[in-house]
Amino acid sequence: MIDFLSLIAGVLLVLMLMAVATKGWMGSRQLPDPVPGSSEGEPTEPCPKEFVSRVFSRGDWEFVHGLKSRGMERLFEHERKKVALVWVRQTSALVRNAIREHARAARQSKNLDFLGEINILAQFLILILSCRVLSIAIHIAGPVRLSGLAQFAQRLSQQVDRLQESLHAGVLAGASGTRAT
Amino acid sequence: MDTPDKAVTVERAYDDLLRRSLSHITGDLARLIYLASTRDYNTGKYHHDGLAAHFQTEIACQALELAHRKTFYRVAGRSLEELVGELDLYVNSSRQNRDDVLQVWQKLEPYRVALPVNVDVVAAQLFVSNIKLALAILRQRLARELTAQAS
Repeated sequence: MIDFLSLIAGVLLVLMLMAVATKGWMGSRQLPDPVPGSSEGEPTEPCPKEFVSRVFSRGDWEFVHGLKSRGMERLFEHERKKVALVWVRQTSALVRNAIREHARAARQSKNLDFLGEINILAQFLILILSCRVLSIAIHIAGPVRLSGLAQFAQRLSQQVDRLQESLHAGVLAGASGTRAT
Repeated sequence: MDTPDKAVTVERAYDDLLRRSLSHITGDLARLIYLASTRDYNTGKYHHDGLAAHFQTEIACQALELAHRKTFYRVAGRSLEELVGELDLYVNSSRQNRDDVLQVWQKLEPYRVALPVNVDVVAAQLFVSNIKLALAILRQRLARELTAQAS
């Protein structure tokens, strides 16, 4: 009996996860076209931190809420969600690009640090998963409704910085190692 | 790679631009629109006769581009409330009917042309998004004012 209940709970959990993932995927299909002039193609630098804070800040929401217009609130939520998802997409692309660059450098390196590489792979997976979680949270609640989302976004941004630094340090060490051999 | 001398000259041209031209324009949004208007649509190069006469055409172009980028990032980083104030100032300074200007801006979205080339995609999206919101807020405010006057 307990096994049967566990099975049902498991199936329900899988279905819920699939529903959430599908919603996230559908939402990502509806992202706006890149704004003309912007450099979305190949991000090489993270978005300046003050803009990340601005996107997730409650200050603008409180201003709009103070206007006492439901239509305006809806427009704000719609617009801010779009911007937040663009940031998640940019961050995710940045992480993938950094890893691609690192993999290219690692293939040419003659003295790979196995534990270091495992650590970088783990960081990469955590960051990609964090982007997915953030994307789903934005779809469900919007970027300014959840109070912890801004801190989560800032932490994610810092983690991407750290990943880039550790990859850069690794590439430099690899280059000096190659020269030494 | 710019030589140090060239960088100093661009900085000087930039300071000159701030002092002589941009200081006479009220509001960063108006400055942004002005700077975007000095860019050629076909070539993407900036041109300013007075600045090019004082410095070289290429130096003037770089100074204008620098000013454009700095002004853009300043405007894009503003809070929504501040941006509504900036837009209000801009609309009031044009001698056209306020509602007409707001309506045309909503329809034609000329502010998209105000973006410098290769700016951060999130900053660009935030700017466009906030201008849309500011336009909607100002139009609503104007409609309420007209209703209050009529009653």
